[in-house]
Amino acid sequence: MADTSIPLEINHLHKSFNGNPVLNGLSLKAQKGDVITLIGASGSGKSTFLRCMNLLEMPDQGELIVHGEAIGFKVDRKGQRQPEDWKQVERIRARLSMVFQNFNLWPHMTLIENVMAAPVHVLKMPKAQAREKGMALLKRVGLSERASYFPTQMSGGQQQRGAIARALAMDPEVMLFDEPTSALDPELVGDVLHVMHELADEGRTMIVVTHEMDFARDVSNHVMFLHQGLIEEQGAPGDILTSPRSERLQQFLAPRY
Amino acid sequence: MEQLSTLWQPVLSWMNGNDIFTPNTFEMYWSGLVNTVHLVFVSLVIGLIIAVPLAIARGSSNLWIRKPVWFFTYLFRGTPLLIQLYLAYYGFAFIPGIQDTWLWFFLEDPIYPALLAFTLNTAAYTTEIFHGAIQSTPRGEIEAARAYGMNRFTMLRRIVLPSAFRRALPAYGNEVIFMLHASAIAFVVSITDLTGAAYYIYARFYAPFAAFLFVAVLYMALSFSIQGLFKYLEKRLLGHLKPQS
Amino acid sequence: MLDLHGYGPRLLEGSLLTLELALLSLLLAVLLGLLSASAKLSSSRILRGIAHVYTLVIRGVPDLVLMLLLFYGGQIGINMATDWIYSEFDVDIFININAFVAGVVTIGIIFGAYMSETFRGAFLAVDEGLLEAGRAYGMRPWAVFRHIRFPLMMRHALPGLGNNWMVLLKTTALVSIIGLSDMVKVAAEATKATHEPFLFMIPVALGYLLIASVSEWCFMKLRQRFDIGFSSGGSSWNN
Ligand SMILES: Nc1ncnc2c1ncn2[C@@H]1O[C@H](COP(=O)(O)OP(=O)(O)O)[C@@H](O)[C@H]1O
Ligand SMILES: [Mg+2]
Repeated sequence: MADTSIPLEINHLHKSFNGNPVLNGLSLKAQKGDVITLIGASGSGKSTFLRCMNLLEMPDQGELIVHGEAIGFKVDRKGQRQPEDWKQVERIRARLSMVFQNFNLWPHMTLIENVMAAPVHVLKMPKAQAREKGMALLKRVGLSERASYFPTQMSGGQQQRGAIARALAMDPEVMLFDEPTSALDPELVGDVLHVMHELADEGRTMIVVTHEMDFARDVSNHVMFLHQGLIEEQGAPGDILTSPRSERLQQFLAPRY
Repeated sequence: MEQLSTLWQPVLSWMNGNDIFTPNTFEMYWSGLVNTVHLVFVSLVIGLIIAVPLAIARGSSNLWIRKPVWFFTYLFRGTPLLIQLYLAYYGFAFIPGIQDTWLWFFLEDPIYPALLAFTLNTAAYTTEIFHGAIQSTPRGEIEAARAYGMNRFTMLRRIVLPSAFRRALPAYGNEVIFMLHASAIAFVVSITDLTGAAYYIYARFYAPFAAFLFVAVLYMALSFSIQGLFKYLEKRLLGHLKPQS
Repeated sequence: MLDLHGYGPRLLEGSLLTLELALLSLLLAVLLGLLSASAKLSSSRILRGIAHVYTLVIRGVPDLVLMLLLFYGGQIGINMATDWIYSEFDVDIFININAFVAGVVTIGIIFGAYMSETFRGAFLAVDEGLLEAGRAYGMRPWAVFRHIRFPLMMRHALPGLGNNWMVLLKTTALVSIIGLSDMVKVAAEATKATHEPFLFMIPVALGYLLIASVSEWCFMKLRQRFDIGFSSGGSSWNN
């Protein structure tokens, strides 16, 4: 029997680009309310791992189970792995929201339109309801008065908080963050981390790729250190960040402490 | 010689076996090709000669020089060439009494009204192409010429125009191909150009594919030759603008 | 009032036909342009090849020759095809190519090739990350196209689209040659009957200039519409 209480489970994921292996058998289990941070050097495969979780990249091998529902794959004529059923993928994507490093707010829509778009076009929520919900979410991230602004009229920090509201509008079971503060000016990082901290306190399940070690230590309950597409070390932040066992993690953490 | 005739034998026997591609129709296509090339070449050359002073006038600071030229290009670029052709063709032919004057010697042959319309049309497009190229002369070139104390005319002749011609080359190449294609309408005023020849052969044998596909291929060959020629000219003349490797 | 020897109403009808023909051709051209631009950007080598041959052929052959080929050859081609279908499958189909259909199809095919270059550039100008954001929230491919890719792409495509439309409009004059009573054909007939070319050709020329001016205004409005969100000034749509 599949365990439907586990929001996201990944087993032995492999992925290569043009024959270059990038992920070499990664597994992860996110229980409800878990905040898992992925850390590792640039190029270690963090983004690719995250993008495989909602199938923006197609994993070559491995299992992906969302709330007990395993994603079916088939191999096409060219030997490429494809989802068996794109509808299933779309359904699952709607339950895992992603927040991007570059925000990727749609520039031709106002902030509130950005937040309403996916609920209206994917969940078929009535517009009035989506707007009401969107306004409430914008209030939560401190952007009520920016609702009718276009992305180009907002600072990076505001855009990223808006993008978080957009992700929240889908009522996601798991939120995926890919370096959400890396593109921000240092003085704007705090606001975004603050919002994320609140989400964690609310009991949301989150998987966060980040270089913010303070966030990893204070907010997450599990840290995974990736190296060349493998999990080199993982555990509770209190353990592995203060007393890393592997030499690579020690090196990775060294310059910061 | 022996070998050559054995090579030709199947071609000749095939030509004997069909009605459409006979020496007769080839002669027709050939004269059509000559007419097309003649029309296009003459109007391009005269149009080019007219376009140079017009392009300079088009950028004049004097409103009374600039505006009429703008109006000329606006009219000729804003309306179909077919209307311009009809105006040139019927406009003269229907002047009362003209058939008794010496002018009729020219006007009787539709090629002259066609040349008039095509020439003015390409002159209008070319004027705008050159005008754009002149306007985009790098400031540095003009300032350098000023620094040498060149007067305006010398500067135009020695610096601005040569560099503008080079920059206009790709757009002008497109204009040449455009004129070649546009000239296909000449057959509506009963000029037997390439399209006219094809139309005649279509009507005679009721063979649209043999007639129109064949000239389509001819036009394509002409177009790509022109394109190749301009690519070559660009390489020769614009080489200095490319980044050095 | 101008006395048009009674040709006034027919000229007006002709101008409506010109407009109708131009708009339908534009619609077809946009569809073909979108399709072949997608083909040029696809990963399939066959699709890319077909799309490139398509633009190459259209660039090499005069509009009028294509139109004559389609109008006079199309019927024979279709008859051969339907005969074959009849003999193979015993299904009887009649398709008649009239001058209007031939005109719309030819002009649509020709300008579809030109549009495909416009759209290809515009597709490439849209940031992939913005499309990915749509997919990441579970949007279907059509929803991604309709709500994200298309509006963002149009911003880059509109200037080229506007130019193509202006050329297309003038190209419709060619249908008078295959017998359609557009405004050029009516004017030519009136000219032959009355020997007054200027009386008929000049109003028609003005008609084209008028349609061009109105279109210019529409395109300006459209550009403002698709420029929303990019700048307050409205001058950044060509970057
Ligand atoms: N679409 C792609 N095509 C080819 N190689 C890629 C692609 N995406 C990522 N890679 C490669 O995969 C490796 C891991 O990249 P990534 O997951 O972005 O690392 P990280 O996010 O940890 O910096 C890198 O070497 C990168 O060059
Ligand atoms: Mg990354």
